[in-house]
Amino acid sequence: MKRRERMEYLLSLLVSVLLAFLLGGIIMAATGHSPLDGYGALFTGAFGNQRAIGNTLYKSFQLCMTGLATAVASQGGIFNVGGEGQMYLGALASCWLGAVLSGHSPFLVIPLCLLAAIIAGALYALIPALLKIKLHISEVITTILMNSIAIYFCTYMANGPLKTSEKGVSQGTASLDKVFQFSKLIKGSNLTESVFLIAIISVLVWYLMSRTTTGYRMKLTGQNQRFAVFAGLNASTLGILGMLISGAMCGMLGMFECFGLQTRFKPDFSNEFYFDGMLVAMIMRYRPLGTILMSFFFGILKIGAITMQSKTGISSELILIVQSIIIFFMAAEEGILQNLRRRRAARMAQTVITKGGGEG
Amino acid sequence: MPTDTSAPIVSMRHISMQFPGVLANDDVSLDIRKGEVFALVGENGAGKSTLMNILYGMNTPSQGEVYIKGEKITDFSPSQAIAHGVGMVHQHFMLVPSFTVAQNIVLSSEPRKGIFYDFKEACRITEHLVEEYGLKVHPTDRVCDISVGLQQRVEILKTFYRGADVLILDEPTAVLTPQETDELFQVIRSIVREKQMTVIIITHKLYEVMAISDRVGVMRQGHLVDVCRTQDVNERILASMMVGKEVLLDALDRSECTDQEVALSVDHLEVLDNRSLPAVRGLSLSVRKGEILGIAGIEGNGQSELIEAITGMRAVQGGHVYVLGQETTGWKPGKIRKLGLAHVPEDRLSTGVSGQADITENLIVGKESLPRFSIARIHMKKQPMRAYAQEKFNAFDIRGAGVDTRVGSLSGGNMQKVVVAREFSFDSTVLIISQPTRGVDIGAMDFIHKQIMDKRNHGCAILLVSADLDELYRLSDRLVTIYEGQITGTFTPGSIPKTEISYYMTGGRKEEAQ
Repeated sequence: MKRRERMEYLLSLLVSVLLAFLLGGIIMAATGHSPLDGYGALFTGAFGNQRAIGNTLYKSFQLCMTGLATAVASQGGIFNVGGEGQMYLGALASCWLGAVLSGHSPFLVIPLCLLAAIIAGALYALIPALLKIKLHISEVITTILMNSIAIYFCTYMANGPLKTSEKGVSQGTASLDKVFQFSKLIKGSNLTESVFLIAIISVLVWYLMSRTTTGYRMKLTGQNQRFAVFAGLNASTLGILGMLISGAMCGMLGMFECFGLQTRFKPDFSNEFYFDGMLVAMIMRYRPLGTILMSFFFGILKIGAITMQSKTGISSELILIVQSIIIFFMAAEEGILQNLRRRRAARMAQTVITKGGGEG
Repeated sequence: MPTDTSAPIVSMRHISMQFPGVLANDDVSLDIRKGEVFALVGENGAGKSTLMNILYGMNTPSQGEVYIKGEKITDFSPSQAIAHGVGMVHQHFMLVPSFTVAQNIVLSSEPRKGIFYDFKEACRITEHLVEEYGLKVHPTDRVCDISVGLQQRVEILKTFYRGADVLILDEPTAVLTPQETDELFQVIRSIVREKQMTVIIITHKLYEVMAISDRVGVMRQGHLVDVCRTQDVNERILASMMVGKEVLLDALDRSECTDQEVALSVDHLEVLDNRSLPAVRGLSLSVRKGEILGIAGIEGNGQSELIEAITGMRAVQGGHVYVLGQETTGWKPGKIRKLGLAHVPEDRLSTGVSGQADITENLIVGKESLPRFSIARIHMKKQPMRAYAQEKFNAFDIRGAGVDTRVGSLSGGNMQKVVVAREFSFDSTVLIISQPTRGVDIGAMDFIHKQIMDKRNHGCAILLVSADLDELYRLSDRLVTIYEGQITGTFTPGSIPKTEISYYMTGGRKEEAQ
């Protein structure tokens, strides 16, 4: 039954994706573009050359990290919308420490910066987790609000107290030593060495979520907290743990972005890409393996869309439409399937009555 | 008193209601006459609320017909019922807490001035209704600020505003103080006498039936057993009709209980309910090893709170709980479990299982870090887990597609077997079992009873709460009755007939019973 549900889900996912592309194609045609050219450009944009492949891969890893961060918190029953803020704080903390420790060995500095990013992200995620568990304040509201606090705080720091004294830099912290920065794996692309770390972290998180007793307990807590308490699990701790890991992941990703692509903390390093990963995780219902795989699909869409726009003049917003349609269908899918099941159950009940009425 | 010859204002013909796995109403035919107070009584799950929900259009019956004032109801919906003059006040009020009394009363057909809501008119309407029906409320009070008794009046006035002349009250006194109950009854009498209204009251409390009703219908297991004139019966007759005949089951093997050691004791326990009102009031009891102590009571008399307090799921206000000689008052559930206590909760879906998880995942909770199922308490060994689940799946005769089946898709009986299979597998000395066979078919019930008796014969101390007297009589070594959070009597099942014990459960006192 569970396996059948999973198959049903994969099938409807496939149908949603196809329908979304079909609708996207219709929109392209309606706006006077050839859908074939459009999707062709999307594909070459994602895979056309080494640089494109590098960018696509990096985007995918990025989505994978944020997607799993959402998933791991949700597994413990808390919906982390605050990854963006956790990412900012992780980025700022690590960049600040990296600048302070300028001149030391990278083998000392990078692990310390990583630790700083983890602590900053995790602690910032701890606040909404505690508010939720102790005071029952909705984490959705607190995390969204705390995003703004973190982003504006970091922007202020990068423009004020921590602003670099280097000339010609309008905003940002002092630059990191060259040896601290992650080097590019493919020249001209965004693919940096950080993807190895992301890959290791992703495997670890997947393992935690689906193969360990802790992940299993977190899952039960997220599914039915009352049951978790009843069964003797420490539901509060498990919920907090999910948020701590989620925040730590976001913090680290903030560091990877700045150490890999920016050379320093810049307040505009993220264009809210945490939310892209969050959507991926939501579509895959917070399942770790599904989230990892789906990240690559969305990575292709995101990077391909840029070329599609420049080559064919089709707005990259169209890809947002396609993405939204997929999400729309997936959201409706649950309702549609439930409706079908309910009807099936009602029909069965009806048969029971007409066949064996009065036996109860 | 209406005459027998008058045409019924409500007529329900051959109503059956099938829910998945449960036949809640089975061929029920019932006539209600204009101007009477009709009481509907029965045990929990007898089908009273289901029947009245059908009349109010909340449920569409699987079979049968409903006529209101001679008109056949074709489209079952509350709006249809309201249009026909039927109003219902549910056990759980359906009011908007932040709105005022007047706003709640006129909700859904608000007075308007042009396109604007006319607040003054709403207040005027409310005052008019208050005057007409003698139900005192203040129109501009906010509903969240007024007492439960007043909220109930608002509910009743709401139905009057919508033109109801048939009023259904679902256990209206469950939330009221004795004084509020008296006031409610006065109101019911006056609206019936002066306004020629018809009132149907669902209740557990037999003395209320005697106090307020003209006629009484008794339901049992989905059937309407009998309808009588209240003056022709008494509480004792009603109690025996509610309980009915015993279901014939084989006797259970009961070994002689020799151990005198007390395994669970509760001493002057005080617990609050969700509304912070006293639910358990200075209750004491103790259970020996190899003994089943049954708690008989009408639901809502503190049983749930008592169980939750013992198992660590609810705060204790006063008194003590001892498990195997160790004081466990205020401990967390996990810690109490480790001491040797297992718990089959009353509400399996919300407490006993995770519906989204599969059978294996539900059976393994509490064992996941045993060496048998994990490496270094961390890495789960999925194969042994599945094998273990399969073993329990077979032993407890759980019927589903397999151990990968989501528990939420199982029937109530099979879900209960999952809970029992898990909770009985811990080698716990103390078992707290609540409503073990609610909504479970007779085969599964017999199976679960045998499992419980087996545990007792192996020296477990078992505290059993059930709304089903047959079950309590079949299993218990000793029985206590609970009423309003206090124990009203201790019995051995052989020494007291069910009719008499249900009398204690409904608030009867020993002097009156003799």
